[in-house]
Amino acid sequence: MEEEEDQSLSFSEVVEEQGQRGSEEENVVQFLDSLDSYLTLFDSLSSTLRQGWLELASARHSMGVSRINGTLLDLKPHSAATTLQVSEPDVDYMVGQPHFKLSKWASSSNENCCSGEEKIREDKLQTKSDSPQLRHRSQFSGTPATIGAPLIVDDQVQKERSKSLSMFGTLVSPKLRSAQLSFETALETLVEIANMRSTMFSTSDQIRKEMAGPRDDNKRYCIAEEVCD
Amino acid sequence: MYGFEALTFNVDGGYLEAIVRGHRAGLLTASDYNNLCQCENLDDIKMHLSATEYGPYLQNEPSPLHTTTIVEKCTLKLVDEYKHMLCQATEPLSTFLEYITYGHMIDNVVLIVTGTLHERDVHELLEKCHPLGMFDSIATLAVAQNMRELYRLVLVDTPLAPYFSECITSEDLDDMNIEIMRNTLYKAYLEDFYRFCQKLGGATAEIMSDLLSFEADRRAVNITINSIGTELTRDDRRKLYSNFGLLYPYGHEELAVCEDIDQVRGVMEKYPPYQSIFAKMSYGESQMLDKAFYEEEVKRLCLAFEQQFHYAVFFAYMRLREQEIRNLMWISECVAQNQKSRVHDSVVFIF
Repeated sequence: MEEEEDQSLSFSEVVEEQGQRGSEEENVVQFLDSLDSYLTLFDSLSSTLRQGWLELASARHSMGVSRINGTLLDLKPHSAATTLQVSEPDVDYMVGQPHFKLSKWASSSNENCCSGEEKIREDKLQTKSDSPQLRHRSQFSGTPATIGAPLIVDDQVQKERSKSLSMFGTLVSPKLRSAQLSFETALETLVEIANMRSTMFSTSDQIRKEMAGPRDDNKRYCIAEEVCD
Repeated sequence: MYGFEALTFNVDGGYLEAIVRGHRAGLLTASDYNNLCQCENLDDIKMHLSATEYGPYLQNEPSPLHTTTIVEKCTLKLVDEYKHMLCQATEPLSTFLEYITYGHMIDNVVLIVTGTLHERDVHELLEKCHPLGMFDSIATLAVAQNMRELYRLVLVDTPLAPYFSECITSEDLDDMNIEIMRNTLYKAYLEDFYRFCQKLGGATAEIMSDLLSFEADRRAVNITINSIGTELTRDDRRKLYSNFGLLYPYGHEELAVCEDIDQVRGVMEKYPPYQSIFAKMSYGESQMLDKAFYEEEVKRLCLAFEQQFHYAVFFAYMRLREQEIRNLMWISECVAQNQKSRVHDSVVFIF
């Protein structure tokens, strides 16, 4: 009887052990996935930045050196067009939960245009074509409110973009607008990299904790073998 | 009287026409561009340019080079050649040569005013000004708060004074006002230059009217495309177009209401000289438009040298050199950014 109880206890320990091993493997897979995403995002960032710098050079070539140079940057104090929110990790921290949130094109005169994740989703819906700067004028300025909300946000975003470029003039080349979009995409990618890195470290910590767990793992395996026998 | 310039032109202009034709022969050739496009870094570019007329201007520049340094030194060469021609010129050629620089003067004025608005140091701004557009009281521009003061304190004694009559207001200077001021001044300058060339008559009037009309039309297209999606109204846009050129007046009326690049294409394709430009671009695309316009401009500028005894060769030479400097800037940027595959996106060959 006692032997049967010992065997059932060993069996439950084995099941628990197998469950833990499954969880470890899941964490390892998650870690490798996040590492792969991290490296992919880095490549993407590199190519986006290269494209942005070339587009900026192309805009200088098109508009002239006197119209695009560092001496035109505005040194007056002004509110940030884009902010980054860093959330503290909770005790019940869930893997994959981003720590960093981008709040794009939020200025003091436009407090409704924020909420980073929403904006990132919306901006991703705007396809970046060969001429992303070619926006139709707001032909919907008099439309009903039912279809106006996304377009109002879109107009606000376009206005904020134009406002940030206004230091180079109000009639700027489409190439400069294209460069702006590239750097904006690069900024979003940077935030994704930060979040992915956070996820990576978190799963790495979990794996380390699990590997540094109770030292009678070998004993458990022996018991399992006995049970199997 | 048109056709008799051969009798009298060389008396005053013969020496300088020979000089400018000699300078024209010094423009970079196809083999020069091939060598430059294969450079691995900016020091290689400097080495290749040392064998050209730019050599003396770059030889003392220390490494590591920057693309802006290459552009500045190449521009100094152009400035030296221009100053030599200006000091040797008599009227009306000297006035003609001065007209060529008014565009740079306008750019410098706008640079100083914009930089001052952004609280930048005046000395920093002066270093970025184009040397061909400098004048004595340019630093005083930083004091002006609105266009009326700009005119009264500084510009009244400059050649740009007559161009200010259309844009003098007491409104404080801001980004939109400055942009409108820039384009209004440039419009007035082009029209004035056009009238001056018409008064000169002969081959100068004929060739320069073609070149300036092309410039006015290109400006109209660029203003249209750059203002799509901005706060500039259609009326304001229409006011920035010049009152001459192939597109004046009906093309301008149509361009003023365009809302995207395809509508602009639809307007321009009605004019045969511009059909070939827009034929090079696919629908919805505008990235290659600049290069297409530059190529057409270079073609027309090179044709100016086919005829003798006129002043348009001076204008053509200055523009061709500026194009060459733009080419060098683009090649340098592509080499510095390790994007040599994109070199041919914007280089316009001149030969």
